[in-house]
Amino acid sequence: MSTGIMLKGMTRLVSRVHKLDPGRFSHLGTQAPQCPVAHLDNQVPTERTRAISRTLENDPAKHGEQHVGQHYNISIQELKTVFPHGLPPRFVMQVKTFNEACLMVRKPALELLHYLKNTNFAHPAVRYVLYGEKGTGKTLSLCHIIHFCAKQDWLILHIPDAHLWVKNCRDLLQSTYNKQRFDQPLEASIWLKNFKTANERFLSQIKVQDKYVWNKRESTEKGSPLAEVVEQGIMRVRNATDAVGIVLKELKRQSSLGVFRLLVAVDGVNALWGRTTLKREDKSPITPEELALIYNLRKMVKNDWQGGAIVLTVSQTGSLFKPRKAYLPQELLGKEGFDTLDPFIPILVSNYNPKEFEGCIQYYLENNWLQHEKAHTEEGKKELLFLSNRNPGLLERLCAYL
Amino acid sequence: MAAPMVKVSRGWSGLALGVRIAVLRLPGLTQVRWSRYGPEYQDPQIDKEYYRKPLAQLTEEETYERELRKTQVIKAAPATKTSSVFEDPVISKFTNMMMKGGNKILARSLMTQTLEAVKRKQFEKYHAASAEEQATIERNPYTIFHQALKNCEPVIGLVPILKGGHFYQVPVPLAERRRRFLAMKWMITECREKKPRRMLMPEKLSQELLEAFCNRGPVIKRKHDMHKMAEANRALAHYRWW
Repeated sequence: MSTGIMLKGMTRLVSRVHKLDPGRFSHLGTQAPQCPVAHLDNQVPTERTRAISRTLENDPAKHGEQHVGQHYNISIQELKTVFPHGLPPRFVMQVKTFNEACLMVRKPALELLHYLKNTNFAHPAVRYVLYGEKGTGKTLSLCHIIHFCAKQDWLILHIPDAHLWVKNCRDLLQSTYNKQRFDQPLEASIWLKNFKTANERFLSQIKVQDKYVWNKRESTEKGSPLAEVVEQGIMRVRNATDAVGIVLKELKRQSSLGVFRLLVAVDGVNALWGRTTLKREDKSPITPEELALIYNLRKMVKNDWQGGAIVLTVSQTGSLFKPRKAYLPQELLGKEGFDTLDPFIPILVSNYNPKEFEGCIQYYLENNWLQHEKAHTEEGKKELLFLSNRNPGLLERLCAYL
Repeated sequence: MAAPMVKVSRGWSGLALGVRIAVLRLPGLTQVRWSRYGPEYQDPQIDKEYYRKPLAQLTEEETYERELRKTQVIKAAPATKTSSVFEDPVISKFTNMMMKGGNKILARSLMTQTLEAVKRKQFEKYHAASAEEQATIERNPYTIFHQALKNCEPVIGLVPILKGGHFYQVPVPLAERRRRFLAMKWMITECREKKPRRMLMPEKLSQELLEAFCNRGPVIKRKHDMHKMAEANRALAHYRWW
């Protein structure tokens, strides 16, 4: 306990030294640490300059206030298992270029982590909605939460982008289960493959509690593992949507029993209650309820089950028929969506604060990403601050070509 | 621009094309492209450092110059010239040449995507290379861009000169700006015409820039062809009279 207090005292000392001379560290480069008090973590003492942008604490469970603005590393193996889908495309490009995946620790994610650590699994699942303007880091905050839950051995139900399910669907089949609804075989099978990669170890443990008949020759018996249902969906693409529906139903039923903890993470949840751009053969528009995937997903985000949490993101990028400047949950979800999701805990994700901005620039400088000579100077930093307004997405795009 | 450009509206035989004359008002000539500013207008001073210098540190000539500027009329600064530290006149000129139909937003985004593509390709090469090679790999897209265009500039050019009723291709030394223009023009034409159907411009341009940086590729070949033609027509060099 005393070492913890000592550490906290040391970090306060170090951060006070940072506040004294904020400009100093940009010139220090990779010089040796100048004072012996640099033990931010329990491991090998880090160099003082690296402490601003990176932290050695790679376990999201141990992230705290002192890590805000610092990047932590996720190994490539973990990335492949935890995030087969769901990372923003520009982040994937960055991971490929730098050969490492580093995520910044930020306040909204820390707040959510605190809530998740103190959840009462006997109560119904709480809904958290991350909202914010474009490019502020909602998706990456969601990925931070998912990494935390994966480390804590939760079952992750991650829908990377719900907007992809309501637009640009080439093959829309009439659902075999319910004539009024539509199937999306391609999207469902891709999602099932990624779900399988992320949650391999759970699929053999969870047993189905009903018999499901696929067609005249194939059926899944009661008590067989969930992996069989997922296999069936991947093999027979026509039944993929129904397989997804079954997976969702079973997980919802069984998470209340307490065998595993379920995290439902949906990015762009406002797609579930908006409009679609899909049309029937007679050119009449399809509402989201008529898509089987959306219908089943709506049941998942209702808080009538226990033993987990629901973390959602509302985003305007990729949304249909919503104005560009809209970012509040009320505007994006619409009346129907807001009433269904009510009550939820809204968490605002905003632009970087000055410390996080410095940390981001330092991270890029360490990876030699900012190649322009003027980008290393104070003038260049001031200009980047002005041009990006500390918006993470814009800053990333600016630094990409500098 | 010291001398206003005169592009003759009526054909004028007896003079080579592509040669600019600093001729002001002559009878029978109308200026086709002109600037609305008269000769008394001075160019604007964009540099931030010029204005940041404290008045106490100025020399006598500089104080005189500042007082003089207070009395002069100054042209409006164009929207594309900024006092940004990241501004590069070569990149701006290249972007303008890539622009079609006044769509500067598209041209600029293509340029930035090209620079990003060059950077990412070089980073990949860097991570794949051994320690000794890593020191030789250049990762700054701006140095690569400048060096590639410099490598593509021809030293000598051909000009059609009319003599005895026939046009002869005469080798001629080129001005600095003509060389830069030709390098950029060849690069852009090459990327527009010789690319596969589904490949996008940034990808093709980044490819061509990296090849030109290493002194190979089709644009360098075009420069060498131009040099060879000039060498072959060496005998006609005395047709030039300037």
